[in-house]
Parts: sequence; structure tokens; C-alpha cells
Amino acid sequence: MSIEIHSLWKRFGNFTALAGIDLEVPAGQLVALLGPSGCGKTTLLRIIAGLETADSGSILFHGEDATRRHARERGVGFVFQHYALFQHMSVFENVAFGLRVMSRKIRPKEEEIRQRVFSLLEMVQLDWLAERYPSQLSGGQRQRIALARALAVQPKVLLLDEPFGALDTQVRKELRSWLRRLHDELHVTSVLVTHDQEEALEVADRIVVMNKGRIEQIGSPDEVYDNPATPFVYQFLGNVNRFQGYAVQGWAEFGGLRQPVLEHGGDTAIEVLGYARPHEIDVKRDDQQGLVATVAHVRTLGPITRIELVFEGGRIQMELTRERYQADPLQVGETVRIRPRRLQVFPAEQAAETATGAAG
Amino acid sequence: MRHRGVLPGFGPALGFSLAYLCLIVLIPLSATFIKAAGLSWQAFWETTTTPRVLASYRLTFGASLIAALVNAFFGLVVAWVLVRYRFPGKRMVDALVDLPFALPTAVAGITLASLYAPNGWLGSLLAPYGIKVAYTPLGIVVALIFIGLPFVVRTVEPVLQELEQELEEAAASLGASRWQTFYRVLLPAVMPALITGFTMAFARAIGEYGSVIFIAGNMPMVSEITPVLIVGRLEQYDYAGATAIAVVMMVISFILLLVINLFQAWRAHRELRGSV
Amino acid sequence: MATIAAAIVADSPRRVTEEGPWVRGLLLTLALGFMGLFLWLPVSLVFTEALRKGVEFYLAAITEPDALTAIRLTLLASAIAVPLNLIFGLAAAWAIARFDFPGKGLLITLIDLPFAISPVIAGLIYVLMFGAQGWFGSWLAGHDIKIIFAVPGIVLATIFVTFPFVARELIPLMQAQGKDEEEAAILLGAGGWQMFWRVTLPNIRWGLLYGVILCTARGLGEFGAVSVVSGHIRGLTNTLPLHVEILYNEYNGVAAFACASLLTLLALVMLAAKTFVQWRIDHPGNRL
Repeated sequence: MSIEIHSLWKRFGNFTALAGIDLEVPAGQLVALLGPSGCGKTTLLRIIAGLETADSGSILFHGEDATRRHARERGVGFVFQHYALFQHMSVFENVAFGLRVMSRKIRPKEEEIRQRVFSLLEMVQLDWLAERYPSQLSGGQRQRIALARALAVQPKVLLLDEPFGALDTQVRKELRSWLRRLHDELHVTSVLVTHDQEEALEVADRIVVMNKGRIEQIGSPDEVYDNPATPFVYQFLGNVNRFQGYAVQGWAEFGGLRQPVLEHGGDTAIEVLGYARPHEIDVKRDDQQGLVATVAHVRTLGPITRIELVFEGGRIQMELTRERYQADPLQVGETVRIRPRRLQVFPAEQAAETATGAAG
Repeated sequence: MRHRGVLPGFGPALGFSLAYLCLIVLIPLSATFIKAAGLSWQAFWETTTTPRVLASYRLTFGASLIAALVNAFFGLVVAWVLVRYRFPGKRMVDALVDLPFALPTAVAGITLASLYAPNGWLGSLLAPYGIKVAYTPLGIVVALIFIGLPFVVRTVEPVLQELEQELEEAAASLGASRWQTFYRVLLPAVMPALITGFTMAFARAIGEYGSVIFIAGNMPMVSEITPVLIVGRLEQYDYAGATAIAVVMMVISFILLLVINLFQAWRAHRELRGSV
Repeated sequence: MATIAAAIVADSPRRVTEEGPWVRGLLLTLALGFMGLFLWLPVSLVFTEALRKGVEFYLAAITEPDALTAIRLTLLASAIAVPLNLIFGLAAAWAIARFDFPGKGLLITLIDLPFAISPVIAGLIYVLMFGAQGWFGSWLAGHDIKIIFAVPGIVLATIFVTFPFVARELIPLMQAQGKDEEEAAILLGAGGWQMFWRVTLPNIRWGLLYGVILCTARGLGEFGAVSVVSGHIRGLTNTLPLHVEILYNEYNGVAAFACASLLTLLALVMLAAKTFVQWRIDHPGNRL
């Protein structure tokens, strides 16, 4: 089932949580809402679930208006960050809850409930824990039970609110790939909220990057990583180097770097910022072009080598594969020329607008 | 209609709560103020400031203050011992702390009166030294200590429990003596809870009636507390007089509680600002 | 070498966060002495005095008709007051802990109000409302309804003094628990009452019971407020604490303590129940 959202607004007092969200989630996809805390992603998810109501705007499920539909009738499965398992019920009863509260006419028979609960528990590989209570489970197990519980009522949409946020790094990684495999089996339309870019990149079909109640960019993981639409997306996803410069008459200048910028052909110079990923930077010893920089640190982390350089305008980080670096090692203190293979240029004003939201 | 999320029952729950609160507490309570407003200012003043009434205010608030201070000290010691030390019968001692709360005040009253009467278990021990407890203001203080005892212990205990041992270890590693650690690190940390407990014991003591009347002797000008005075007026069907005194008493205790709460808020605010 | 080791061992038991043995001893003595003087001694006295004239006299004192009526009335007043305050506590805690609305802080303060008011004044306010000279006095007299100096007044006074207990226990508990579980229940299709019976109530049951115990303990023992509205009519409007007072004032000390011992026993039962419930709250993992 697809979800469509049209110009959704939500305010809490003076705080604008959502400022005109338009979004489409195609049926069967897993979409990640990614952004820093306070960007409105959880509010958006809760509005889709019907736990909160928007001030204006509409939500369509499968083309039908569901804006005013009660949460109970929306047919969504919701997975909470802190599991929200019923503490006083066994694992079995937790999963069976949604079936037991059905009206008598459509409630499955006891035997059928049993079968369905056990097949769900097998799916999350925890059928051996059926008689335990939530307090006796590990965090990862609890979250898998919470997922089984949400799926028991056969929801048409699955909503996950930072589902792995409270877990250890190792468990989080395992559950992430497990969730992806599960989604490939079930193909239930899913929306996942996260502030962890790695999680979004690894799990989602599409990523929605949010900041300050607005959507910055929507795209596949490769798209948002390789072609960030805004300075915010650049800074929020992955590491990035930032160069300060100015643009005039169709050219941007950053120290010794020049690059054509077609958008700014005017005669008055404006300040611009250039962004380049660490792995998009080349280093040359004998080039006449590029920024002059001095090697400050070299550190090899597994398969990649990270090099930190100092230049007039600050510090630059670049990454090479270990092999490439070892073919031509750099000495600390050596002066070299660096040149980004690719440099995205944004007017400085645009970056300032969003900079507060991004930690870097 | 304003949306309040998905959980049901807000309207009925709040509606019932407010209606019940108004019926049981607010409307009857407002009756006292309306009744008192029916008196002329002069009549009100004369009723509430006779020497006998003034003496009762002094006694009530003074004895309550002393009792609450005693409870603050011993309450802190008892809470400390219960949290930090292990000794046989600890669980029972811990449960017993709440006895003054569960024991009907009348039972406490007759028991304390019998204990401290000149021929009682404790009274007979004290009599040779010329100390009289029962039927004196001292007896009132004893009764008020009894009923206020749980408040300080129960508010300080959880705070002591949650204090991290690391705090004390840090102080010790920085060279503080045990006393310095207590005075400079632990005491400031439990202070807000201690003041809260003190306030509760104090407030409870001001209004106390049952446990006091038996041991006090209720002699006008000497050992007559304000609630006894109010009951006395009621028994003479002097409703206006009883109400006037009750209003004065309520106003004084509300102001006291307000001042203590404001002081607490000011302390918390200062601490918050200090940490930035 | 051996002497150094011995010296270290002798020195080591006291940790930096412990007091010396003298201070420990002093604090323990102070605490236990204070408790013994103010708690243990009075309880012992109640039972000693009650049984001073033997078991037969004791039994006679607590089974005479006036005592039995007083016991019945005490139980009746609590049996009405506790359920009403229980429902109020649930409703108030639900509204306060699960929703945001203006004036919430004020409401919480008002709920605590009966704690800050003398029981005598609690009685007085109902006399002013329903007494012969009260607001509704003549109307009530006209319709031959008696509230003051009758059972309804005693019930009202008991409700007033036990008013905050359940709400005060539930509000912080439910605020701490958050509303995730209830939202999960609704999203899984549960109706309002299904959510309440299957999720909310099981989660708060121990806190609720705790509040009920406090409420009952206070209700059974209330003296000041009830004393003002009861009129002390023997065999009619005397609760057990009032009966104790009358006996004591008639210099029938042993009978007074016999009845007092009943109330003390009830109080001890309440304490035991409270300790058990507190233990359940602190150890939620253990299941019966």
C-alpha cells in the first residue's frame, strides 16, 4: 500500500515541527526518514500512524484520504524506540494481543492465534522465548518481539521509530541487515525513522533527508550520498571538506582552485562554499595547479588510509585505498598540491541557512 | 475540537476529576472564606486576636516548628542508618517508620499521654528530675514529633539511596575528611529533600488534633492549640468565631508553605544557573 | 614482611566512604533509640494496657454493642471513601499523566490541598455547608435529611482527609511509565476499555494498591474531622477512634486501650501490606 503526504504542517506552541511536507512512499518500499534530532522526523511518523494530528495537510493511504481516520483503523504496525512491550504479558501474549482484542466476529480461533503467533516468533527466530517476559529478554530480542507483535495484525504499513536507537553497535548492525532481509521477504511498505546515516544508507530503498521540519532531499542511498542537493545534506551524510571562496563571472575561486559555475555569471563577486568528499580528492607532488598543502597526519584504518593536510584556509581530510597510498606514500611535513576531482559549489548564504542543523 | 493524540478518555477523566475536586474540596473550603467574609472587619479582628487566641497561634506554630526541626535532625539520622548500615531487624525497623502514619491519631494520643503521665512508664522516670511532659507544651511537642516522624525519613531515604558512592569517593580522593565530605558534599545534595520533609512534617503538625488533645491538657493560654480552640467554638455553636480562627490559621499556614516552596524553587534555580 | 602485611590487613576493612566504628555506633544508637522511644514503646504500651485486666475483660470490651457499632461504622466509612477516591485517583492520574492541558500544575497542587488543611477544619467546612445553620441546612431539614451528626457527614469527612492518596501515588508512576504501551495497544486495534483493562491497569496495579492501603489506613484512623461532624452519639455516630476517646475520657482506660489495640493491629496489618507492596514495586521482575 502506498502512502502520499501533501503539504503537512504541524506546530507545537511556537515550535514548527513540520513545515509543509510533501512525500510519496511507493508500495512495498522501505523509506528512511533521516535527520538530526528535532528535525520533525518522529513527528511525521507519528502523524502517519495517527498518534498525532497534523494542523493542516492530508495523508492518503493507497490513494484514499486517511487524514481523519483513527489510528486503530489505519492498519499500521508501529515499532517504538523503547519497544513498548507489555511488561506484564509473556512474549506469546504480547504478540497475540492484536488478535485477542479483535471484535468477536473477526477474531481468530484460539488454535489459529497460536499458530499465527508461533509462525511470527519463528520468523523473528525467537519461538523458544514464547513463555518469557519482556524483562527477561535482551534489548535486541525485545525489539524483534516488538516487530513480531506489530506484524501480527498484518499491517499494510510498517512504521519504525528509531527501532535500533537503544541498542549496542554490534546488535544494531546485525538487526539492520536482518530487517533488510525481512523486508525483502515481506515487501510491506515501511517507513523507518533514524538519525544514523549508516543505518539509512544500508537499509533503505529511498532516503528522505529532513532538517528543521522540511525535506532537504529525497533519493536512493547512492543519489543522496553522491549528489547531495544542499550543503546540509553534504554535511549530514558522510564526511566532507569545505572550501571557502568567491564566485564571479561564471567562475568560482578557492585559493589556487578554479572551477566554472554557470549559475553565477554576474560581475559582482559573491561568497561561495565548495564541498568535496575525502575520497574525491587527488594529491599531486609536481602539479602547478591546485591548493598548496602540507601533510600533517597519516593514519591507516583497515583498508583505507586517511591523510590530514593543512593549507591556508584550514584543514583537509582525504582518503585513499591502502594499496594506492602504499604505491606512493606521503611523508609528514611534505608539501603537495591537492585537487578535488569533484567540487560542488553552493552560495555561502544557502549554507548558512542550514548550517545550524548540521553538526558536520 | 482540539486533538489530543490517540489515547481516549481525556474529557471524562478530567471532567470527573474537576467535578469531584470541586464538590469535595473546593466548594466546601470556599464556604469558610465566605462565612468569614460575612463578619465585619472589626468583629473578625476581635475574634481572632484575643490574648487566648494569640497564645494558641504561638503555641501551635512554635511547637510545630520545634517538632519539625527535631524530626529533621533525627529523620536524617534514621534515614542514613537505614540506607547505609546493615543490622539485624532492619526490615522491620524500616516498616515501623510509617507507624505514626498508619496508627490512628487518637490511639497515639492516649498512648503518649499514658506513657508520659506522672505515673506512666516514662513520666515516672522523669518526675524525680522535675520534668513534666504530659499536660504541658512539652507534651504537645512530643506528640507532634511522633506524628511528623515518617515525613523526613521517607523523603530523604530515596535521595540518599540514589546518591552515587563515586561522589564520596571523589571527595575522599581529593583529601576531604569524612565529616567534610558529609558537610560539603552529602548534606547539600540531600538538602532539598530534607527541607521538603521538614515542610511536610511542619504542615502536618500545625493542623494536628487527635494526638495532641490527650497529652496537652488543653489549658487556655498555656497548652491550648488552635484546632482545640476551633472545636471549642463549634461546641458552643459559635460557627462564625470558629470559622474566623480557621481562616486565619489556614492563611498563615498557606503563606508559610508558599515561602518555603519559593525558597526551594529559588535554591533549585540558583543551582541550575550555577552549573551553566 | 609479615608485619607489613598484617598492618595493611588491619587497616584495610574501613573504606573511604565509611565512618569509623565510633561514629557508626553513635548514629545507630541515636536512630534506634529514637525509634524505640517514639515507636516501639508506644506500641508495647497499647497491648500491655489493653490486656492489664486479662483476656476476658479485653474480649468483653471489644464485643460490647457500642464497640461493635463503632467498628461497623468505621469500616463502612472507609468502604465508601476508598473506592470513590480510587476512581478519582485513576481519573485524575489519567488526565494529568497522559495529556497536556493548561492549568495542570494548579490541578496537581489542588489535589494536595487536603494534606495542608487541619482535620478539624475539614470537619468544619462540612458543618458550614450542611449543618443546621449551614448553606443547605434549612433545605436539608425541610427534606428530613441529616448529614451532620449522622453517617453521611462521617463519610464525607473521611473522603476529604483521604482524598489525595491514590492520585498522589499514581500520577508520578504513570508519568514515569510513559504512554508508549497504551499507544501500542491502540495501534494494535484495542478499544479504550480493552486498553485500560489489559494494559493500563496491570501496569499500575501495585502503585494503585499502595495508594489504596495508605488511603484505607488513614480512613480507618481519622479522628479530628470525624469528631467535628459526628456529634458523638454513642452506638450511632461513633467511629472506633471516637469510641476510644470516649472510653478514655470516662477513665475506662483498659477498655479504651482494648479498642485502641484493635486499631493498632489494623495499622500493623496495613504496614505489613504496604511493605509487601513496596517490595513488589521495587522488584518488578519477580512473579508470583
